Amino acid sequence: MPYHEFECSKCIPERKQHAVTKGPGEDLTSCLPKGYLNTIPGSISERGCAYCGAKHVIGTPMKDVIHLSHGPIGCTYDTWQTKRYISDNGNFQLKYTFATDVREKHIVFGAEKLLKQNIIEAFQQFPDIKRMTIYQTCATALIGDDINAIAEEVMEELPDVDIFICNSPGFAGPSQSGGHHKINIAWINQKVGTVEPTITSDYVINYVGEYNIQGDQEVMQDFFKRMGIQVLSTFTGNGSYDDLRAMHKAHLNVLECARSAEYICNELRVRYGIPRLDIDGFGFEPLSQSLRKVAMFFGIQDRAEAIIAEETARWKPELDWYKERLKGKKVCLWPGGSKLWHWAHVIEEEMGLKVVSVYTKFGHQGDMEKGIARCGEDALAIDDPNELEGLEALEMLKPDIIFTGKRPGEVAKKVGVPYLNAHAYHNGPYKGYEGWVRFARDIYNAIYSPIHQLAALDISRDPIPTDKGFVTQRMLSDASLPEEIRASTTLRQYSGAYDSVTPLRDKTYPTFDSRPAAAE
Amino acid sequence: MSCELKLKERIGTINPIFTCQPAGAQYASIGIKDCIGIVHGGQGCVMFVRLLISQHLKESFEIASSSVHEDGAVFGALNRVEEAVDVLLMRYPHVKVIPIITTCSTEVIGDDVDGVVTKLEEELLQVKYPDREVHLIPIHTPSFVGSMVSGYDVAVRDFVKYFAKKDKPSFKINLITGWVNPGDVTELKRLLAEMQIEANVLFEIESFDSPLMPDKSAVSHGSTTIEDLISTADAQGTIALNRYEGGKAAKFLEKRWDVPAIIGPTPIGIRNTDTFLQNLKAMTGKPIPDSLVRDRGIAIDAITDLTHMFLADKKVAIYGNPDLVIGLAEFCLDLEMKPVLLLLGDENAEYENDPRIKALQDSVDFDMEIVANADLWDLEDRIKNKGLELDLILGHSKGRFIAIDNMIPMVRVGFPTYDRAGLFRYPVVGYKGATWLAEQMANALFTDMEYKKNKEWILNVW
Repeated sequence: MPYHEFECSKCIPERKQHAVTKGPGEDLTSCLPKGYLNTIPGSISERGCAYCGAKHVIGTPMKDVIHLSHGPIGCTYDTWQTKRYISDNGNFQLKYTFATDVREKHIVFGAEKLLKQNIIEAFQQFPDIKRMTIYQTCATALIGDDINAIAEEVMEELPDVDIFICNSPGFAGPSQSGGHHKINIAWINQKVGTVEPTITSDYVINYVGEYNIQGDQEVMQDFFKRMGIQVLSTFTGNGSYDDLRAMHKAHLNVLECARSAEYICNELRVRYGIPRLDIDGFGFEPLSQSLRKVAMFFGIQDRAEAIIAEETARWKPELDWYKERLKGKKVCLWPGGSKLWHWAHVIEEEMGLKVVSVYTKFGHQGDMEKGIARCGEDALAIDDPNELEGLEALEMLKPDIIFTGKRPGEVAKKVGVPYLNAHAYHNGPYKGYEGWVRFARDIYNAIYSPIHQLAALDISRDPIPTDKGFVTQRMLSDASLPEEIRASTTLRQYSGAYDSVTPLRDKTYPTFDSRPAAAE
Repeated sequence: MSCELKLKERIGTINPIFTCQPAGAQYASIGIKDCIGIVHGGQGCVMFVRLLISQHLKESFEIASSSVHEDGAVFGALNRVEEAVDVLLMRYPHVKVIPIITTCSTEVIGDDVDGVVTKLEEELLQVKYPDREVHLIPIHTPSFVGSMVSGYDVAVRDFVKYFAKKDKPSFKINLITGWVNPGDVTELKRLLAEMQIEANVLFEIESFDSPLMPDKSAVSHGSTTIEDLISTADAQGTIALNRYEGGKAAKFLEKRWDVPAIIGPTPIGIRNTDTFLQNLKAMTGKPIPDSLVRDRGIAIDAITDLTHMFLADKKVAIYGNPDLVIGLAEFCLDLEMKPVLLLLGDENAEYENDPRIKALQDSVDFDMEIVANADLWDLEDRIKNKGLELDLILGHSKGRFIAIDNMIPMVRVGFPTYDRAGLFRYPVVGYKGATWLAEQMANALFTDMEYKKNKEWILNVW
């Protein structure tokens, strides 16, 4: 039987089809859980809302935009300063959030006038910012304010500003995923094609589904620039509003998170004929393959190979130092959506970890298909997990570490399982070759912290070891390691800096000769 | 020289000081034992509040959602409440108290939460759970009214209103702490113990600072029981420390059950702690013991080392929950500091009549602004564009970039304080809180002097 029935969920039988264990020889035809269905009320699910999927996940990483939520203050407050999507313009998008502050009288009499005053006021307070995104919330969706009409009015009155409207109230869908879809489609409908960009390279891409968590986008952009590729826009991490209005002029859409941003790629293909190429910036091999694929599309494989060779030589010995010490460690890979399949196989192959469970809060069946296909036998896959199921799984699987969100991480802590933040990372970025080593380093530091031994000791009944004044991570990780590995002179620990991203901002790049014009 | 109480001049909110009402109700609900609230609305209204609380306390708390989706928003979502109650009861056998906390969406669509509670009591609870003690309590906290502060106030009142019942008179007093930290509760309980007063500390969250135990058994939840809530009607009196976070419940108990109420002052600083002890003495007849004279002496000793040498004339801006902000401002004045800007993050008609604010207006001998309905841009804009000069900022972590970008030292205080380690463990109330606050402020100034090389050598001989 592939379905896994949780003891705690026996009383809600519909949950049974949301968890599977991948048995010996089983494939997806026999083990695919249901996904992206309505949440069971009262189950203490971990899902967020469609507003947060639109505003918090995809909208706000745009860096040169006033992000105004049309509603009471709570929605905007709650989705502010809980992420680590940085930018190269001083983190405006992290620092400032705007709410129209809808009150009872507006609920009764309408809040359109309030909205208009808010828009004008916000531009006055931040005269250097000329772009705005307005997010609808539950309250203003229900009272039916015509946000589009107000925005049009303001744009006529203030010709130098541009406003994007995102109608994605919190209740619009079973999870944040509904919001991802809505803002993707809204952007292409309203904004793509309204700016003509300057093309500076023969090779032009949009980098899509990348949110610059701790600098991921900047790391990947560095590779593209080293290959002479122009990154016309990034949707949306560290992305610029006007660059994203010019998405229609790219030659290729390079898609990272296919869960949250495949919609706009698919539309760009349909409407503008721009092909979509799915890539993966996590892990040496997937990243190398990704760079090769992009290069192959443009016929510049040599440029990719040069980068791959250089980066691998620099960082592989450090990755392998950790791999030797992480072999066989059990992981619950419990992220939000796409990382379950971005990471599942590659942390096994490149770090030696064993994925004992994957879950997804807001993923669809397609994400589970990919994730389960990439898991080994006995992996437990859970769709829309809830609090009790998570605890039951931790008790059953006894993982050495869990990759999940901040709050579930606190739950894991109490049962003695260290956590790494799968959404915001601990000490990222995790993309790129160096980033992947940083991830391995963070996992190592989490698993081999001497605090876990201390935590397990019950001083009232256990013998208290008095022979040691301290224990180091190495004393724990190397205890059963063969001598040749322990003493290896080729393997080494991470040697990068605390901040690996800021230096990229001042980097200069080689110029490549233009491709000779093809004969017509 | 004036002290003006005004409203924010702009219409919109840039960087809000507070979140909305349901968050306050949720924070109150986790103070009750065997209680899991159901927030009736979209899932974000719970998910983000749980995240916020876990950011602040580094603990996870269980709060459920009715998960209203599109169909519910169109056709009504009471069926989601019914299902949520049943699912919660089936899976959490210890749960006895379930507040149904409304949000903007379910208030706008007009879901009759009170009606569905009656229906559930008559049907589901009687049929499926006849032998189980279950309390369903509707709490109306539309997000477009008030703020998280009023949400806490409303929820505390509604819980007390639901449970309070006279049995036999008790010598205990009710202590409604307001929205505080575990460290505050520890200090309050210590003061009560020194006074040998038995108190019913309500929405008691000391255990939110919970351990990681060898047997992995620890879970974080509040300690106020149903019995505690019922017995509030029997108490000798109620002291609500904060006017705006628990004041409603104290007034209710006085009016409905003749339990005398003393509301405030928030015992921040020496003077307000003195008043708190005097109130305890008046209510119970218990004397203030020598041990507290000594404790107070330690605090005064610590403060004397700092005040005229380092703290005097320092200009401070304070933002956050109104009782906290006012209490901190009063304490700063006693420390010879100049709280030049107080920002209260919501609009409340009662602020005008608050005697503490009136006292500031009557006596402050420098220019002080008190801005209600304020946001954090009210602070930043004054610093960046209007020439406000500050030596120190007191407030919660959401304003951290104002301090960082403008190079102004800041002491984190209030909720949330996620960008500093363990602050929830330390009190700001009582004599211990007074010492801690004064020393934190001084140390923040010292560190700043060193980073800016601004007379850092002065500390050589201190």
